[in-house]
Amino acid sequence: MVNENADEPAAESDAAFVSRMMATLPAETVPNTLEARILADFDAALERRRNSLRFSAVKLAERLRDMVWPGAPVWTPASALALSLLIGLAAGAFVPSASVETDNPNQVLTVALDKTPSLNLSGDL
Amino acid sequence: MNAGMKFDPDAELVARTGRGDRAAAQALMARHLPKLLALTRRMLHDRTEAEDAVQEVFLRLWTHAARWQPGQAKFETWLYRVAMNQCFDRLRKKPTTELEAAAQIADPGPRPDAGLESAALAVQVEAALAQLPERQRAAILLCHYQECGNIEAAEMLGISVEALESLLARGRRTLRTTLAYLREN
Repeated sequence: MVNENADEPAAESDAAFVSRMMATLPAETVPNTLEARILADFDAALERRRNSLRFSAVKLAERLRDMVWPGAPVWTPASALALSLLIGLAAGAFVPSASVETDNPNQVLTVALDKTPSLNLSGDL
Repeated sequence: MNAGMKFDPDAELVARTGRGDRAAAQALMARHLPKLLALTRRMLHDRTEAEDAVQEVFLRLWTHAARWQPGQAKFETWLYRVAMNQCFDRLRKKPTTELEAAAQIADPGPRPDAGLESAALAVQVEAALAQLPERQRAAILLCHYQECGNIEAAEMLGISVEALESLLARGRRTLRTTLAYLREN
């Protein structure tokens, strides 16, 4: 079936008419100053976020310090922790382990290079 | 990946922007700024106000990008929703006299050439748009100017598709009546 009025403006739907009218609106040009303002906002927001991360880290350190050593400046518990770590590491490196020492004189450890090592524990235990 | 989830062309750029990538932020801006500015300009009928609104929209984007969850909503839908809310907030604060002035249909005057004629037509269409209630204007602009689908436009306006269709029908009818003389000419 052929629509007799298909080419007449009256047959145009409201939607088509509005689309046609909207198409007459010119495109917007974006001023460079607006782009610069928006990018400056991005830089400022990024800086704020970085500062807030730094702020959170400082707050966490302060909370830990107050748990360990209330009221002390941050360097005091930090130095104490570093010193205790140093002492622990030095002790681990230089003090021989008590587990390899024995006071049983009957224990003999035989080691032959061509055999698997064997431990003679014939003495009284 | 969820089969029902639509591909979001902005997801990668938003994720990079959230990690502080300036180039990604610039790419996102280049992709959306012209259309957002055109939309807010037509909603607010004030270039300075539209630029401020768009700047505010991007500021929201910069602060929310790090927390953006891909797959929940399409980024563009979220962005336009923020823009529309900005427009509605600003329109609410705007004195009505300003809007009435914007809605006055300007006399296009004599038409010496086609260029001026089309410019005059655009002025009349803009004035007719300004006369529409803000929700109808938003629906018309999203569907006929930004060429969004009904479902997407409804999401952007935070309303049901049926409500959007009702706004569209009323808006189209009003525009057609207001601009009827253009068809006669």
